[in-house]
Amino acid sequence: MKHSLKIFFYLTKLSLKTIFQNKIGSMFFIIGKLIRFVFFVFFIYILFSQTKLIRNYNFNQIIIFYLTFNLIDTLSQALFREVYRFRPLILSGNFDLVLTKPHHPFLKILLGGVDFLDVFLFIPYIGLIIYFGLKIPNIHLISVFLYILFIFNSLLITTAFHIAVLAFGILTTSVDHIIFIYRDLMSVGRFPIDIYKSPVREIFIFFIPTAVVMTFPAKILLGILTWPFFLWSFFVSLLSLFLALRLWDFALRKYQSYGG
Amino acid sequence: MLKYWTVFKLTIKEYFVYRLNFLLWRLRVFLSYLVIFFIWLTVFESKTNFASYNKALLLTYLLISNLISSFVLGTRTADIGAEINSGKIINLLLKPISFFKYYLTLDLADKFLNFFCAFFEITLLVIIFKIPIIDLKNPLLFLIFFINGVAISFFLSLIISFLGFWTTETWAPRFIFTTLIFFLSGAYFPLDLLPFNLYFFFLISPFPYLFYLPTKILIGKIDQLIYFQFIMSFIWVLLSYKISYKMWVNGNKSFSFFGR
Repeated sequence: MKHSLKIFFYLTKLSLKTIFQNKIGSMFFIIGKLIRFVFFVFFIYILFSQTKLIRNYNFNQIIIFYLTFNLIDTLSQALFREVYRFRPLILSGNFDLVLTKPHHPFLKILLGGVDFLDVFLFIPYIGLIIYFGLKIPNIHLISVFLYILFIFNSLLITTAFHIAVLAFGILTTSVDHIIFIYRDLMSVGRFPIDIYKSPVREIFIFFIPTAVVMTFPAKILLGILTWPFFLWSFFVSLLSLFLALRLWDFALRKYQSYGG
Repeated sequence: MLKYWTVFKLTIKEYFVYRLNFLLWRLRVFLSYLVIFFIWLTVFESKTNFASYNKALLLTYLLISNLISSFVLGTRTADIGAEINSGKIINLLLKPISFFKYYLTLDLADKFLNFFCAFFEITLLVIIFKIPIIDLKNPLLFLIFFINGVAISFFLSLIISFLGFWTTETWAPRFIFTTLIFFLSGAYFPLDLLPFNLYFFFLISPFPYLFYLPTKILIGKIDQLIYFQFIMSFIWVLLSYKISYKMWVNGNKSFSFFGR
């Protein structure tokens, strides 16, 4: 464990250094993300300029959903950025070099490129969650604890998904579209899942767990998540992690070192 | 002319070579419609009017603007920046074809394919969710604004790509450009929902001329600023053409093709 952590921090340090090599690009990227965030909040503000409630949610509550989406999305992008660079490793055959190293391959291909451009965005997101959270009555300490627990649970599901993408990468050499499909599916969770009509809503709760990942943490913070869904969340995370690891084992057995 | 027709046909065929990628790409586009569409549908559950828009008018605006944007924003000019940086652009410059006409042809192929798929997807949405669609109006005026929108989009995208003559980091300005387009061109809401001063400020920028104004004219919501908008759309066509042409000339003078 100590050995793995040492490698993780070393790769993270290298990743940080690459940002300082592209200062202007990095600055534009952060500005772009902040502009997108501010504009979307502005869009929500426009929606509430003519109405007080959307499906029984007020402005502050909808903002909490949107901020939670941003936090989880950014967290998973920051941690798993290296997955986006996996395809060239497979095509070139350089994945062999990762497999022969004396550490778990996930240290390199899953967690080996922490994206600090996304890490910087945590500060405004967490600050705003606290600000808007304080404006909502009936949020207790236990809700905050459960909220953090659910964010970790969401992170488990996103981890499972990224492992599955790596496995698909080995099996099909296709990574980019799958990862972007995942992100688009997750972007459905920018708003409470209740806004979607049936059967779209049920699809995003039971078949594609966007609601579990992106909207259940906000619901638990607001105290509106029912017990069956509470249990469903943890069942989904455990099941998805189990299936992703099985798929990874299967893909490794099929790996033929295409490139090189 | 025949050579450009061949380029057009080959570009279309190229998309169908990678059929899975093509399907996944369309799925991504379709998912991006869903979020905005559903949030507006939910807003109209408790209201009959939103400012000066009723349900049918606003939903028609959203669907038509999506359809028009699929044509206006469809582009292959985004590849130029990378081609300049890698030196690949020399292959094209040495061929007996016009660089601008070549990329315009690629763009048109992309636009037609985008438009065809978007038309199918939006029709599907209208049928499944029984969306009321209003009659469309002002076809001639729409056509003028539409052609101007296509031209502005083409030249603005070229400007971003031509930055590649002076920097390797063209992706970051493009990221900001894309972000600005989606908000300032009215992809999420009609811009006239904004306070007048802010709306007027946006009208000075090129973004509303891409697909907001063509859509607005088509749904019959012409406002008192139409003469100003008409003149501004031509000014932006001229200005964006002049800037892109000047960048092209200066870029070619200052550029050296290393590595080839």
